[in-house]
Amino acid sequence: MMPRRRARKWLRLGRRIASHAVLIVAVVFALFPVYFIVITSFSKIPIAAITAQVLVPKVSQLTLGSYQQALSGQYPAFTSLLENSLIFAGSAAAIGMGLAAFTGFALSKFNFPGRRSLVYFILIISLFPSFLLIIPYYFMFAKLGLIDTYPGLIIPYSAGAVVFAGILVKNYMDSIPDDIEEAALMDGLSRTGAFFRVLLPLCYPVLGLAAFLAFVGPYTDYALAHVFITSSAKETLALNLYNIATTDTGASNYGVVTAFAIVMSLPIVVFYMAFQRYIIGGLTLGAVRG
Amino acid sequence: MTGVRLENISKQFKDSTALEDVSFAVKDGEFVVILGASGSGKSTILRIIAGLEVQTRGHVYIGDMLVDEYEPRDRNIAMVFQSYALYPHLRVYDNIAFALRVRKVPREDDPDRYRRRTREEIDDRVRRAADLLGIGDTLTKKPAELSGGQRQRVALARAIVRDPELFLLDEPLSNLDAKIRSSARLELKRIHEQLKQTFVFVTHDQSEAMTLADRLVVIDHGHLLQFDTPENVLSRPANQFVASFVGSPEMMFLEGRIRAANGGFAFELDPVRISVRGARAPGPVTVGFRPWDLTVAKTAGPGAFPAVVRGIERLGSSDLLFLELQGSGAPGAPAMSGVTVRAMSRAYEYEVGDSAGVTLAPDRALFFGADGDRLDELEGAPAGP
Repeated sequence: MMPRRRARKWLRLGRRIASHAVLIVAVVFALFPVYFIVITSFSKIPIAAITAQVLVPKVSQLTLGSYQQALSGQYPAFTSLLENSLIFAGSAAAIGMGLAAFTGFALSKFNFPGRRSLVYFILIISLFPSFLLIIPYYFMFAKLGLIDTYPGLIIPYSAGAVVFAGILVKNYMDSIPDDIEEAALMDGLSRTGAFFRVLLPLCYPVLGLAAFLAFVGPYTDYALAHVFITSSAKETLALNLYNIATTDTGASNYGVVTAFAIVMSLPIVVFYMAFQRYIIGGLTLGAVRG
Repeated sequence: MTGVRLENISKQFKDSTALEDVSFAVKDGEFVVILGASGSGKSTILRIIAGLEVQTRGHVYIGDMLVDEYEPRDRNIAMVFQSYALYPHLRVYDNIAFALRVRKVPREDDPDRYRRRTREEIDDRVRRAADLLGIGDTLTKKPAELSGGQRQRVALARAIVRDPELFLLDEPLSNLDAKIRSSARLELKRIHEQLKQTFVFVTHDQSEAMTLADRLVVIDHGHLLQFDTPENVLSRPANQFVASFVGSPEMMFLEGRIRAANGGFAFELDPVRISVRGARAPGPVTVGFRPWDLTVAKTAGPGAFPAVVRGIERLGSSDLLFLELQGSGAPGAPAMSGVTVRAMSRAYEYEVGDSAGVTLAPDRALFFGADGDRLDELEGAPAGP
């Protein structure tokens, strides 16, 4: 009796050690590049830490100079870049999320002919690389006079976001029993009212996730922005990052590039932390059994 | 307070018929139970009354008002769902208050205009409903923190608080433990007596139906089979299906013939002879007996079926014997093996494999025709010598 129980205890411990070992390796694998970027950004030597083969820099070699240069030594000004990026990504997140909520509601809770095929159609569309659309988008938006305007980028960003997020919301709403919506109808609401007062609040977790994904995509987008934005007044952080990295002389100041990248990533980190509860809830698609 | 009337309701789904020409009228303040097996269409009836489903044919009246075209929210009906369907994101208090906040009420000074209820009005009603159901201490909790019994009470409170014209309850007790279920049943009955409002309650549990119902709607495969008091459904079932579906343990059926005898008619199935009053012609017939109308003895006397004990179920207060009837062995007598009957008896006197004798109470016999309908005019009596 006893030895068997003890053996089981050891087995459990062994399993736990093994799984932690795997996780640690994965974390190191994921974080190592980030670590290099961080130490490069603080380094006095303007070459990448990886090429300098420095693993642990000495304190005397550290400086904030790269950050200073990244934030103030750029044209256009960093604040203007940040503002543009936030306008594009924020609008895309807000519009994309709003449309995704309605899309998910329609696809999940309404019975209309061709619903299933529509879901598959949307899924298939989301499999195509978005780069394919850049050229046709350009011609279309040029005709509409939307090149180098805010709507010109917000529209395709939102459209791109709503495809995936709509499916995400639909799947989540599928997990909400119809009874709950019907209870709201019996309680005196119209379908629209039931959507806004009952279903939508229940979908906050997945909408948080959808908003996050809809934000990060445009915020880090280079390809579409590069084609659509022609004036420096509308330049975004991601565009500028590339401009810093590729100087005319061909020699990049890695310290400035990495510092810029780190500052640029801060809004995403803040966004994630603010909505972490929702985003993780959305990822696990928690059942809402009352 | 008001009644509800269904007139020739039929419901056709894409490739199945859920209801076929169902009509019945629930009186004001009545507790009506719709009893049927799963898939019989009983929940569909409820959903049609609620307006969540639209009938293919027929009309629904609430009070005297034809409500066919009304949205669920305009029917002023409260519904308790089998899953309770509480709003998971709202506290118990807000769950109960929800409908009060949504619905406007006529203004005192001008009944044609509507106003929202005040916070005090809502609070007062929520607390009274919570007190009635004994859930006053759960008001600040979320539904996920409650036990099954508490959730069921919240669902009930949410319906009661609205003071609706009609309560619809879709198997509200079926998700409860057996122990709580019977007390919840009594409580529901108490609430109905207190509110004196009209309740329509759906269940597949016949003992639930028998205890709760003023009147019972028995439904099978979309057809209304009987609408009557529980006593009548039990003692005067409309047909063989109702007879076997309602009443526990199940009724026993014997197939035989009515023959002319001694100037009258008699049902004969050797060794049993029951004189039949009211019969006009001989013919095949099925006779049913409730288990409590059978007497079991250690030996088969005259007029008793010889039987073998095949199983014993001890229920506590009474015991159930599963008996397999044997043919009488007489030449020409039908082979009876395979007919199993359930009889209430003192089971401790028997063991599996024992032989026994089963005597029927002739005046308790129910007769069913070839189409399954009960032959109301037929009455059994002890056969003369």
